[in-house]
Amino acid sequence: MNEFEWLRQTRALREPVSPRRDLWTAIDASLDGAASTTPAPRRSTAQRVQGWVLAASFAGLSLFAGSLAVHLRDRPLATASASVTPDLERWRPSDPRLAGAAVEFDAASMELRQAMEQAPHSPALQRLLYRMQKQQSQLRQLEHQAG
Amino acid sequence: MPPAPAAEPTDTDDVRAAAAGDRQAFHRLYRLHVDRVYGAVYRLAGFDHARAEDLTQDAFVRAWQKLSGFRHESSFGTWLYRLAVNVALMDIRARGADPVSMMAEDDLPDRGETPFCAAEREELERAIGKLPPRARAVLVLHDIEGWRHEEIGVELGMAVGSSKAQLHRARGLLRKVLGESA
Repeated sequence: MNEFEWLRQTRALREPVSPRRDLWTAIDASLDGAASTTPAPRRSTAQRVQGWVLAASFAGLSLFAGSLAVHLRDRPLATASASVTPDLERWRPSDPRLAGAAVEFDAASMELRQAMEQAPHSPALQRLLYRMQKQQSQLRQLEHQAG
Repeated sequence: MPPAPAAEPTDTDDVRAAAAGDRQAFHRLYRLHVDRVYGAVYRLAGFDHARAEDLTQDAFVRAWQKLSGFRHESSFGTWLYRLAVNVALMDIRARGADPVSMMAEDDLPDRGETPFCAAEREELERAIGKLPPRARAVLVLHDIEGWRHEEIGVELGMAVGSSKAQLHRARGLLRKVLGESA
């Protein structure tokens, strides 16, 4: 028998076959213990990387502001600056993926405010404040894009 | 990829609903695809209904668990079929070594010694069922399901050349089994 004839016979076996009994009852029972995981909405790689970079920069900012506050702690008390806008501290993203960044942001904001009480006209603190506002704006854009 | 069936029904809505946890939608998908899945698994299981039933149940449970990862890059029927074949192949792997590769060439009859044209369908199925599991897997996937050796090699973890050699030996074994039963 040649190859063609052989394959003609074997390929004839390739057809649907009905089970002898209904398997659904057993499958249905098994599904109770086998939860189907509903996927979270997928973000693009760029969005994920951007989120991590922002979170990391907030952590760095927090550390820097904290160390600056410690450094300036013994300086004479000056008038508190009103440049840290209350809006910065009230921001609470509805997206849980940004909530961690918001917490870091709050901590950085607090540290920065304490530092600015010590040195309200410090150019370094002003730059930090500007960067923080810029980063918050970026985060809000991300939140807006995530819907 | 293995050849797709001629016309697959549209089941996109049910797939999405089932992925969101809709059990009724998954039941509809089961009814739509069970015969094709069962047929492939039944052949890989050596035409053993009891094992094929267990493997089919396992395949559908795994499909339910993995539905969230289905990206609609292929049809659901093809995805499910592939998943079910993998379940059957995992079962074969779990059952141990490959007796075909250890069989001496002298044990095999010459090619064409026993003509298949005399074999009835049932007899052919019974003969395939008597093949060692991995030899049967190669023969079923290539000669019945229409897979290429490259695909079989990937799924069974062997080189393309090994898949071809396994098929040659499997066919020889089949002729021998059919010759003995005739």
